[in-house]
Amino acid sequence: MKTKSFSKTYGKRRVLELPELELPEGQITAVIGPNGSGKSTFAKVLAGIEQPDEKKPILSGVSVGYLPQKSFPFRMTTEKNILTNGTDHTRAAELMKILSIDALAKQSAKKLSGGETARMALCRILMSRYDLLILDEPTTAMDMESTLAAEQLIRETSHETDCAALLITHSISQARRIADRVLVLQRGELVEQGATEAVLSAPSKEETRRFLDFYGL
Amino acid sequence: MSTSIQKAIELILSADPELLNILSTTAKVCLTSSILALIIGVPLGILFGAERFPGRRVLLVLNRTLIGMPPVVCGLLFYMLFSGVGPFRHLKLLFTVKLMIIAQVVLITPIIIGVMETFVADTAPALRETTRGLGFGRMKEYRLLVNECLYSIFSAYLLSFARAIAEVGAVAMVGGAIAWKTNVMTTAIMMYTNRGSFTLGIALGLILLTLSLLVNVVLSLMQGRLSR
Repeated sequence: MKTKSFSKTYGKRRVLELPELELPEGQITAVIGPNGSGKSTFAKVLAGIEQPDEKKPILSGVSVGYLPQKSFPFRMTTEKNILTNGTDHTRAAELMKILSIDALAKQSAKKLSGGETARMALCRILMSRYDLLILDEPTTAMDMESTLAAEQLIRETSHETDCAALLITHSISQARRIADRVLVLQRGELVEQGATEAVLSAPSKEETRRFLDFYGL
Repeated sequence: MSTSIQKAIELILSADPELLNILSTTAKVCLTSSILALIIGVPLGILFGAERFPGRRVLLVLNRTLIGMPPVVCGLLFYMLFSGVGPFRHLKLLFTVKLMIIAQVVLITPIIIGVMETFVADTAPALRETTRGLGFGRMKEYRLLVNECLYSIFSAYLLSFARAIAEVGAVAMVGGAIAWKTNVMTTAIMMYTNRGSFTLGIALGLILLTLSLLVNVVLSLMQGRLSR
């Protein structure tokens, strides 16, 4: 699928200006870049949470699922939270087992730790099928074991349901592990895009090289 | 003092008819007004907290002003509106329980709106980002928001009931503290104290404090359950 070009301005400050972008179905596209590069704003505009300056949707006829950085746990049990986004109890149980929160199914979601809430939120968004799945730093609060399980789940979901997945991440190693393609943002602009290994191993732009050097890659 | 308390307890245990009448009038006025205020205040509070619309800020400032309105001013306003020279005199509501309830509703609805607005304004943005991200419609979003608000609804009710049961200025002015008709606990305490009849006053004071304690204990237990 293809997004339209758009910009986003807060007050007088333009925080994002992006050209048309290709988000291939069945693939994971990672968005990387330093703090303040516009990654989360990009995700919010794409998800329709924020309006672009053009006041027009940048995707049309596409169902979009968006997992924010801090997903809200509803005042109900973990299992019921997950079932707000679908009725398939078997699928809910399967997701909870994969992310090791099956023992917390009957516990109030308000009492989950940060990592457990992040796992519950990921299970919840994966209950429905979307054409485009946007995940804003879904594993930041998780430990390594949960992160790897979550990455595996995201990869399988994207491939099996043929949905385009957009993964906003701070972790270059995470992008390398699961992303098929990478978009590099800096100061609200697209610096570079391409296949993950090509961009991360041999970046063609100086800004990307400096950013990767900073992360010791 | 101790003799008065002893006599007051005897009066309560003897189920004195005048005391029972005051209690039933108080229950009628406080329960009806607090429930009506809840029915009006909760949706308005949620609306003010969750939505942004022209005039919202003005309405919020107005609501905060009403929260601080002295009950006697409210009483005076209703007295003027419904007295023999007021525009609503033909309704013949002055010195009736109905007008006492209306005055109480006007006094306590802003409290409920204020409590709900504060909570919802804090909760709605994060909840909305999540529900919109999941692709939920407005109805489902509001159902989930109301579910988040249950604890606050009880807090708001607790506050409004406490204000209603302790209020004296407005109900005294519009009800007239007429024995066997519009006398509630607070106006009766004032009346009996003025007459020098402390026993009934103390008895009513004890009942008022006990009732307030009981309501608070029950609602606190419910709040505890809802916060989970």
